[in-house]
Amino acid sequence: MSSEVIRVENLSKMYSTREGDFHALDKLSFAIEEGGFVSIVGPSGCGKSTLLQLLTGLLEPTSGQVLIDGIEVRKPLPEKTGVMFQDATLLPWLTAEENVAFPLSLCGKDKKESQLRARDLLKLVGLGDFINHRPAELSGGMRQRVAIARGLVRDPRILLMDEPFAALDEQTRFKMGEELLWIWQETRKTILFITHGLTEAIYLSDTVLVMGTKPGRIIEVIPVDLPRPRTFEMIGSEFFGKARNRIWTLIQEETEA
Amino acid sequence: MRLSVLLGAQAGFFVLLAIVWESISRLELVDPRLLPSFLTVLGVLGDLLTQRDFLMDLGITGLEVGVAFIIAAPLGVSIGFLLGEKLFLGQILSPMFHFMLSVPQSIFLPIFMLLLGIGFLEKVVFGVTHAIFVIIVTTTAAVRSVPRDYVTVARTFGATPRQIYLRVYLPAMLPVVMTGLRLGMIFNIIGVLLAEMDASRAGIGRRLFSWGEGFQLDLLLAGILLVSALTIIINEVMRYCEHRAARGHVA
Repeated sequence: MSSEVIRVENLSKMYSTREGDFHALDKLSFAIEEGGFVSIVGPSGCGKSTLLQLLTGLLEPTSGQVLIDGIEVRKPLPEKTGVMFQDATLLPWLTAEENVAFPLSLCGKDKKESQLRARDLLKLVGLGDFINHRPAELSGGMRQRVAIARGLVRDPRILLMDEPFAALDEQTRFKMGEELLWIWQETRKTILFITHGLTEAIYLSDTVLVMGTKPGRIIEVIPVDLPRPRTFEMIGSEFFGKARNRIWTLIQEETEA
Repeated sequence: MRLSVLLGAQAGFFVLLAIVWESISRLELVDPRLLPSFLTVLGVLGDLLTQRDFLMDLGITGLEVGVAFIIAAPLGVSIGFLLGEKLFLGQILSPMFHFMLSVPQSIFLPIFMLLLGIGFLEKVVFGVTHAIFVIIVTTTAAVRSVPRDYVTVARTFGATPRQIYLRVYLPAMLPVVMTGLRLGMIFNIIGVLLAEMDASRAGIGRRLFSWGEGFQLDLLLAGILLVSALTIIINEVMRYCEHRAARGHVA
């Protein structure tokens, strides 16, 4: 029996504006199995971020529901989902270690224990020598690594990532992708990854969900049948090119429509 | 090494100023009755600091400034926080506080004297009204400057509203609030001294004023030096705290 950790059922979100109701998301349904790596791509304004806010429990759906581990999400569930944003959103007055331990301190974990856990995770993301640095003293890539460690600190089964590497340069972005795959393999998390980068989406994922716009909905599910571990050479393969072209065409059609 | 050179040069400049002052007076380029020499003034200051009733005056002014600050700081920060946090309230009241900041408070002194008489309370109230508006306005700005992202991230990690206030808002606002408090303290001292110089039975402001009226320039200059030094020390101590609070915050 396969176990679904994320299940989205007929999820809709409507906003009332002066021009009338605006359908941000219309009856989205999909499921992600435990240990899966799923990416969501789509044109700007297709409701990707709204979807992420619904998954994290920051927003309430107009209709439909999000189930995480079979539980309906109505508020943030930090013990089940770790979240990462486009911006590292570290708290600038805390050190790297304190930032990673921040979610633990919110739920009243023992300070010494939290410290050790934060240090272990910083080592995992390759920042063992930077535990006492503040965000301002770290590079963009390093800050995102701290954010990954913070997302993992409560040992959630799921990582929700909203364009986490979009603000990084191409080289750093590729390296971060590699590291994320490695961490994913090590920790066996389920990852939902929202991105603008088609290459990034295909390279990292088992499945790519393509979203259409007005209203936001899923228009195609593209399985990525490439073996793991993924290698740089695969990006040049025929399958990769076809998948990329397919997604590109879908998104173009959506933006022109 | 470079810092010590810089500090040396700065100290040198002050010494030079003192020498110029001393020379102008000694060479009688200016009538020494109008400009007593630096060393004379220092001697007078030394004497003053041994006089009990002078120290009492200094103490009273210090007490007025202190009490005014203890009232203005928490009140100003609370009002400023409410205005920044409660959007509706802020929209209604913020402009008023903003305008009050630009009105010279000194024009209200006669009203305070009529309402409260001349004395300790009047000085304290005048200090409070000087300090509070700048504290309110900077605290409101501090609340509004807290990036929404910090709050979002704290919420996704399960922070309660109380934790969001204490663990996110408070530290995020702290550097700006500290700046507001420091400016408030400067305004507060201006207010108290102004009230003392205008009409008073005690305090350092009254002393300065009467020395001026009596052409006692050696005493007047000694008083000015002392008050200047004390206010600079207060300001620098507060700035140090401000600096500590801003550690890590990106400017």
